[in-house]
Amino acid sequence: MKRVLLAVIVGVVLLSMSVLVASGTPIKIGICQIVEHPALDAVRQGVIDSLTAAGYVEGTDITYLLANAQGDMGTAVSIAQDFKSQNVDLVVAIATPTAQAAAQVFNGTDTPVIYAAVTDPVIAGLVLDADDPSENENVTGTSDLIPVASDIALLKELSPQIKKIGIVYNPGEANSVVLTDLAVTAADNLGVTIVRAVADTSANVQVAAQSLIGRVDAFYVTTDNTIVSAIASVISAAEEGRIPFLVADPTSLGSGVTLATGFDYYQHGLLTGTVVQQVISGKKPNEIPVTYQSKTLVVLDLDAAAKIGLTFPQSVIDKASKIFYGGAIWEQAK
Amino acid sequence: MALILIHAAEQGLLYGIAALGVFITYRILNFPDLTVDGSFVTGAAIASSLLVSHGFDPFVVLLIAFAAGALAGVITGLLNTQLGITDLLAGVLSMIMLYSINLRIMGRPNISLLRTHTIIHAVKGGFGSLGNMSILLFVTLVTLSVMFILVLFFKTEIGLVLRATGDNERMVIAQGVNTKRMKVAGLALSNGLVALSGGLVAQYSGFADVGMGIGTIVTGLAAVIIGGSLIRSRKMVWMTASVLIGSLIYRTAVMFALRYGYVIGFQASDLKLVTSLIVIVALVVPAFRERMAKRVKTC
Repeated sequence: MKRVLLAVIVGVVLLSMSVLVASGTPIKIGICQIVEHPALDAVRQGVIDSLTAAGYVEGTDITYLLANAQGDMGTAVSIAQDFKSQNVDLVVAIATPTAQAAAQVFNGTDTPVIYAAVTDPVIAGLVLDADDPSENENVTGTSDLIPVASDIALLKELSPQIKKIGIVYNPGEANSVVLTDLAVTAADNLGVTIVRAVADTSANVQVAAQSLIGRVDAFYVTTDNTIVSAIASVISAAEEGRIPFLVADPTSLGSGVTLATGFDYYQHGLLTGTVVQQVISGKKPNEIPVTYQSKTLVVLDLDAAAKIGLTFPQSVIDKASKIFYGGAIWEQAK
Repeated sequence: MALILIHAAEQGLLYGIAALGVFITYRILNFPDLTVDGSFVTGAAIASSLLVSHGFDPFVVLLIAFAAGALAGVITGLLNTQLGITDLLAGVLSMIMLYSINLRIMGRPNISLLRTHTIIHAVKGGFGSLGNMSILLFVTLVTLSVMFILVLFFKTEIGLVLRATGDNERMVIAQGVNTKRMKVAGLALSNGLVALSGGLVAQYSGFADVGMGIGTIVTGLAAVIIGGSLIRSRKMVWMTASVLIGSLIYRTAVMFALRYGYVIGFQASDLKLVTSLIVIVALVVPAFRERMAKRVKTC
């Protein structure tokens, strides 16, 4: 899938290259992220790799200013201001607070701000309408919204006995709250109940997960940065309760989760890179609607399932692109 | 270059108001108060939710933010003086409670002000002719007014008793003053200022986030201590001014770390290290000069 995507990117950009690469001075891109985190680091790398694959040579065609607010929102504003004073040609802002800071600082300028890893750009105030970009001014980007409803449906497909699903999440993360609310609505439609447990720091994930043991039939964790950083705590609680655990992070496969869905954040970075390329090649942010991550994966861990005495139904196995079995990952041809 | 100094000054002054709050508890009351990590967000939360959901005036919400912060300070004060909980723990408890309360106030963890009429728009409309300097001018006016009101307050009878409570509580009790009340009042004033700063910063940044208060105590203390080591004075005007100067130095250090850190081979992930190194240099150079001057004299 990566190769196909790269091929598409190369195609798109070969067209645009003639416009900018010929101009001589390198394009200056400021990339800012809110905190060090594997998913956010992967987005940054994906953006850079996508541009490199498209033929932009770092140093001659393009220069990057990389900045990290290290968790401090005031610094996120400082970074955007620093980018502005250095006259960057384009800003890539990873995660909600960084995107909001950049949008505020570059408000009223012509500099495009491309956000990434923002679940709901409308609630975040970045754009007015997800589908209609005409009011966007200088801001557009990619959303990492995951198909929560299909995740809940998938859990239900594992066993008809799954009636209550426990979600561990951080109420302080904007993205996570949006997804948890979506999960509650989706579960209602499927006749399942969601039981919430909150953890505001990774240290509190263990207690939150343990509080759900015996009260739920399955665990579900969305793309919550806090919980995913402490995923081992949820895994041990799920094993203790002998119930399946679905996490919306396919890179967790092999760590002990029963099954995982969603996308690798590196792919999200590549997708963001294609939006950056569109803007470099002359498209205005107010011509580009919110770009959603379309292809999501299903991956299964047979070893972890065996531990809790679960056998995957054939219908679920058919959906999987990767299967962890006997201590190794097996790709399933589709 | 000039532009980043303007931005650093804007932030230094806005966060300087929070540092003045920390100054009141840490230096004047001698009460290490950790409530501020929560009350900073309370100010931002109240201001932004009233702006977005109820269409309040962007200046009026700042006063309400101050009041909400003051209430948080009162709670810490009562926990300490009435329930006998130690100062550090009372502050920690308030800070933790405020996390949930702030989420309640906002209704969600992040409120965007990007499409709301804020003080920034009002200022750009009012002093628009000044261009880049308009926000700095406004922020300077606000911060200096807060500073001078504080200086005047500490010259009133209550203000003097408050100072005395921190210096020598027993002496004040001997004068027949209820020092418990004075502590509560001091904490209210301090957290009111911190929340005012939070309300201003939210409007300046374009959003309020429940995580934006993390480290308020650290940067506030940094400003108080940096300023205090550069300007040694017992005069209220100089003491408060030194806090603002400390805050300006801290924010300028962040800006310099961002701008020049990578020039000398540091990576984005080294930001906090570089910031601290710049602050250390800012502290050591004047002290070193002083020592050199003394040495020359003794020769």
